[in-house]
Amino acid sequence: MASRKKVLLKVIILGDSGVGKTSLMNQYVNKKFSTSYKATIGADFLTKEVTVDDRIVTLQLWDTAGQERFQSLGVAFYRGADCCVLVYDVNSPKSFETLDSWRDEFLIQASPRDPDNFPFVVLGNKVDMGEERRMISQKRAHAYCQQRGQMPYFETSAKDNVNVEQAFEVIARNALLQEESEEYGGDFSDVIDINLNPERDGCAC
Amino acid sequence: MSRRVGSSNDPPSPSASYYDVSDDEEGGYNTIAHANTGRGVKLLYSKSKVYVHPSPSAKDNIPGFIALVQQKSAPLAADERPGTASSSHSKSQNDASKYLLAWVPESSLAQDDFSTYVKVDMKDTESPPKQTYLVPPLPVSSSYDDSNVGPYAFSLPLSHIYSILVRPPNLGWWFGSIIINTKSGSSLPALFFHDSECESTILQKKRKTKESFDPFGEGGDLFWGGDEVLKWLKRYVTVERSTAEPSVYLINPSEEDLLGFGQGRKSLEGQGPNSDKQQSKKQPPGPGMDPLTKALKETRWKILENLSKITTFTRRTAQDLANNNNLPPQVRRLLQNPEVQTIQDEFDSARLYLARWAMGIAEQSERERRQRIYTARDVLETESSSVGEFEILDGTESMSLNDSKRRPVTMKEWKGYFDSKGRLQITENEIKERVFHGGLDMEDGVRKEAWPFLLGLYEWNSSAEERKAMMNSLRDQYIRLKGQWWERMIEGQATQEQEEWWREQKNRIEKDVHRTDRHIPLFAGEDIPHPDPSSPFYNEHSPGTNVHMEQLKDMLLTYLEYDTPPDGRTSTSITINPNPQNLGYVQGMSDLLSPLYAVFQDDALAFWCFVHFMKRMSRNFVRSQAGMRAQLNSLDQIVQLLDPKLYLHLQKLDSTNFFFFFRMLLVWYKREFDWSDVLRLWESLWTDYLSSQFHLFIAVAILEKHRDVIMEHLRGFDEVLKYINELSGTIELQSTLIRAESLFHKFEKMVEAIDRKDHFPAAPIEIRQRQGKGKDPEDNSQTAKQPQGSSSSNDASHQRTNSEADKEKVISPELRLLLSKEIVTLEENADAGARTRASGLKD
Repeated sequence: MASRKKVLLKVIILGDSGVGKTSLMNQYVNKKFSTSYKATIGADFLTKEVTVDDRIVTLQLWDTAGQERFQSLGVAFYRGADCCVLVYDVNSPKSFETLDSWRDEFLIQASPRDPDNFPFVVLGNKVDMGEERRMISQKRAHAYCQQRGQMPYFETSAKDNVNVEQAFEVIARNALLQEESEEYGGDFSDVIDINLNPERDGCAC
Repeated sequence: MSRRVGSSNDPPSPSASYYDVSDDEEGGYNTIAHANTGRGVKLLYSKSKVYVHPSPSAKDNIPGFIALVQQKSAPLAADERPGTASSSHSKSQNDASKYLLAWVPESSLAQDDFSTYVKVDMKDTESPPKQTYLVPPLPVSSSYDDSNVGPYAFSLPLSHIYSILVRPPNLGWWFGSIIINTKSGSSLPALFFHDSECESTILQKKRKTKESFDPFGEGGDLFWGGDEVLKWLKRYVTVERSTAEPSVYLINPSEEDLLGFGQGRKSLEGQGPNSDKQQSKKQPPGPGMDPLTKALKETRWKILENLSKITTFTRRTAQDLANNNNLPPQVRRLLQNPEVQTIQDEFDSARLYLARWAMGIAEQSERERRQRIYTARDVLETESSSVGEFEILDGTESMSLNDSKRRPVTMKEWKGYFDSKGRLQITENEIKERVFHGGLDMEDGVRKEAWPFLLGLYEWNSSAEERKAMMNSLRDQYIRLKGQWWERMIEGQATQEQEEWWREQKNRIEKDVHRTDRHIPLFAGEDIPHPDPSSPFYNEHSPGTNVHMEQLKDMLLTYLEYDTPPDGRTSTSITINPNPQNLGYVQGMSDLLSPLYAVFQDDALAFWCFVHFMKRMSRNFVRSQAGMRAQLNSLDQIVQLLDPKLYLHLQKLDSTNFFFFFRMLLVWYKREFDWSDVLRLWESLWTDYLSSQFHLFIAVAILEKHRDVIMEHLRGFDEVLKYINELSGTIELQSTLIRAESLFHKFEKMVEAIDRKDHFPAAPIEIRQRQGKGKDPEDNSQTAKQPQGSSSSNDASHQRTNSEADKEKVISPELRLLLSKEIVTLEENADAGARTRASGLKD
C-alpha cells in the first residue's frame, strides 16, 4: 500500500492571558470545558484530524502563554504556520485593543511569504458572561475585522460550546487554502490522491 | 430474602422471556418489529458514547450505548425493583439470565428511545431509576452479524457471560475498553469508552474527585466509564477479578474457574478497578506464573490492545520497536509478527504513544537488571563519547534509595541540631546535606521551621530571639507595604496612568490566583463573597472566592509594591527594597508563592520567604527573558558535554533551543510533579548543597532517562516538545534526584579532569595515538612552551594546544558557574521595564 501523505496544518492561537485560548482548544479537540485550566506556561499543542472538502487533514493547534514577555523565546514554532487565530475576551477591552500587537508580532516572527494574504481568524470569546458584562460590541469587532483584510470573526463561548466547531471549521479551511497556496510556490511532489481510501463511509445501520 | 425465579436451573431461552411491563402478551415481542408497540425491556443503566471501532480508521467508529436491561423471567419479579435488596440475596445463575448486557448503536434508536437511553444515563444514582424506563428489546445474540440494528449490536444475558477483559484508559492516549467473552467461547467486539464525550462519566468523574479528594495522592483521575459498568454488574452477579490475569474479570465463576485463574478468591464487592493497581502489586502472582511470564502476558496484551486502540501506526515504527535492544526477545518476536505489522499508516500520536510504551517496557526490564544495564550503558557512553578518555566515576553505585541519609528530617531531628538559645550547633553544610538528601517530614510541621532558613530569610547563625525580633519588624513592614497599594487603589492618589497600570496588574494577578493549585483543599472552595463588584469573579448570587485566594492576591500585589521603584508608585511611599526589579506581575509567580503560603499559612512569613525565593527566581521573569535564555543555554552546554550523541540527535531535530524545558525551569517543575513532590524537590534545591544550579541537573536527569526513546522514536521539534510536556505527572522524583546527583558528580569529574589535564598535560593514550597518526613535520616548528615531564616534546606541545581548544569548548564560564553554590541573579534595568510598560502589548 502506497503511503498516503497526510496534510498537517499548523495553527497558532494567540491573545492576552486569560481570554480562553486553552479552553477553546480543549473544547474543540476534547469536547471538554474546565474552569480550572492553569495558566499556560511555555507552549503545547493538540492535534485533531478533520475532513475539509473531502480531504483528511491533521490540525496541529498551538497553544501559547498569553503574557507578552514569554513570546520572545517561544517563537520558534510560529514558523511554518498556516493560520493564526487571534482570541480576545468580549468582556475585556484591553484584550481587544492588543489584537493588533499580536497580529503584528506574529507577522514579524512567522514572516510568511505573503503577509498581506496570510489567514487570520478572530474569536471574541466568553459571550456566555451575559450582555451586561460585555464591553466590545459585535458591531465594533466586525468593523475591526473588516478593516484588516476581512478577517473572519466569530463570537464564541468555550464554556457553552457556542460557535467553536464553526470557527475551527473556517480555521481549518483557511489553513488548508494557505498550505496549498504555499505549495504552489514550491514543488508539487505531494499530490494527494483522495481516492486512496475508498472505504464505505456510511453508518453501520 | 428469597424469591422464586425460573423453575429450571438452566438459563431460560432469553428470546422467550423478555420482561414486559404490560405483562399480557408474553410471546410476541422478541423481535425488533414489535419495538414500537409500547412493549419493551426495562432499561436499568446505560452509558453513552461507547464505541465500536470496526476498522483502524477513526471515521468508521460507531457510537452507541452500553446498557443493562432487565427482561421478564417470572411474573413474581415483575414489580420488584432490584435495588438495595438485590445485594442481600444470592446472585444466582437464574438472576443472571434475566439481566442482559447490551450494546446498541445510536443510529438504530428512534428519537424517543434515544432520549430514554440518555435519561437513564444521566440518572446519577447508585441504584437503578425508580421510574420504569422501557426500551425496545434487542435480539439476543452472541453472534451479531444477522441483526437488524447494525452488525455489532448485541444483548447478552449475564448468565451467558464468561468473562470480561477490562483495560482502563491510560494518560489520555487511548480509550478504556472492555471485551466480553461468552460462555460459548466467542468474544464480542471491543467496546471503547470515549469518556471525554460522555456527559455522565464526566459528571461522575467530577463528583468523585470532589468527594474523595486526596491532595497528596493521584486524585480521582483513574475513574472511567468501564468502572461504572463493572459496578452495575456487581449488583446482579458475582464479579471476580483474576489475579493471574488482572485484566480479566470472571462473571459468576465456578470453583474450577477460580482455580484456573489463580487465587482470585477475593470478591470484588465494592471495589472498583481504581484500587486494583495497588492490589495487584501486593498480591503475589498466581501459582505457576513466574514474574517474567506474567510480565510477558501483560506485555502481549498491551501490544494486542494497542493494535485495536490506536487507529493507525507505521510499519517503520513497529520495526523501530522490534529492533529495540531493550526489549525482551519474546516481545521482539511478537512485534515481528506479520499480523502486527500489517497495519501501516502515518499517525503522529501513535508514534508518541509507542515511544512512551517502549519506555515503559524498557523501565520494566531495567528494574530487574538495573545495575548491570546502567553500568553497561555508562561504559559504552564513556567509550564512545568524545570525552571518553576521561575517567568518569559512576556515582550511582554509592547511592541507594534506602540509604539512611535519604530519610526525611523530622521536627525532632531538626530541633536537635539547635541549642537552647536556638542557635545551630552543627555546620550549615551538614544540615543542608541532610535536607538535600532526605528532605523534610511532610506532616510534623518541620517545614515551617526550616524553610525560612533554607530560603535565606533567617541567618543560620542567628538565635531564636534574633529571629523573633526580625520577624516582628518584618510583619510591620508587610502591613505597611500592603497598606500602600491598598490606599492608592481606594483613594486614587496616583496618576491616571499609574492607576490604569495597577488595575491591570490586579486583574492579571486575580485571574491567575483563581487558577493556581485549586486542587489543593486550601484553595479549592469558594465560600466568601467577592469584595470587589468590578471584578470578573464577582457574582451577586454566589460566593466568588475564598480567604486563601484573597491572601495570595494580596501577597502578590504587595510583592508588586515591594518590587516597583518609587516612580511607579507615589512619592510618599516607603521604600524597603533597595533594589527593585520592576518586573510587574508575571505568570508563574503565583505558582511559586502558593506552596509557601500553603505550608506557612501565615501571610507575612510567606511573603518574606517569597521575597527571598524571588531573589533567585526573578531572572526567570525579566522582560528580556535573558535569565531563561541563559539557563536554556547552560542546558545546551551540559548536554553537549555529558551526552554528545543525544545532543547531535537533538540538533538534527532542531531542538537544541531546549525550549521544551521552558516550563520546568520557569516554575521549578511545579507542573511536572504532584504537590508533595514539588515541596520535597524545592527544599532540596534551596539548600544549594551541590550547586545553586542543581535544578538544571534535574532537567538533564529527566532528559537522560528518556534519551533512548528520544533518539529512536522522535523525529521533530514538535514531537520532542509534546513528549516532554506529556511527561508531566509521570516522573518519579526520588530516582530523578539520584540520577541528577550522579550526573552532577559526573559533570564535576569531567571538569576536574579537563582542568587537571590543562595543568599536567601528559596526553592520555587515546589522544596520543590519534596525534601520532596525524603527525607531520610542521609540528616541529611550533613554539609552545615546553611542559615539564612529558613524554616527547612534539606530542606534548600538540597536546597542549589541543587541550586548550578543548578547554575553550567545554569549560565555558556558563559551565563553570554550574559548580558554584552562589545564587545567580540577574538584574534588569528598571527604567527599561518602565518604558516597556507604557507601550506595546500589555506586558
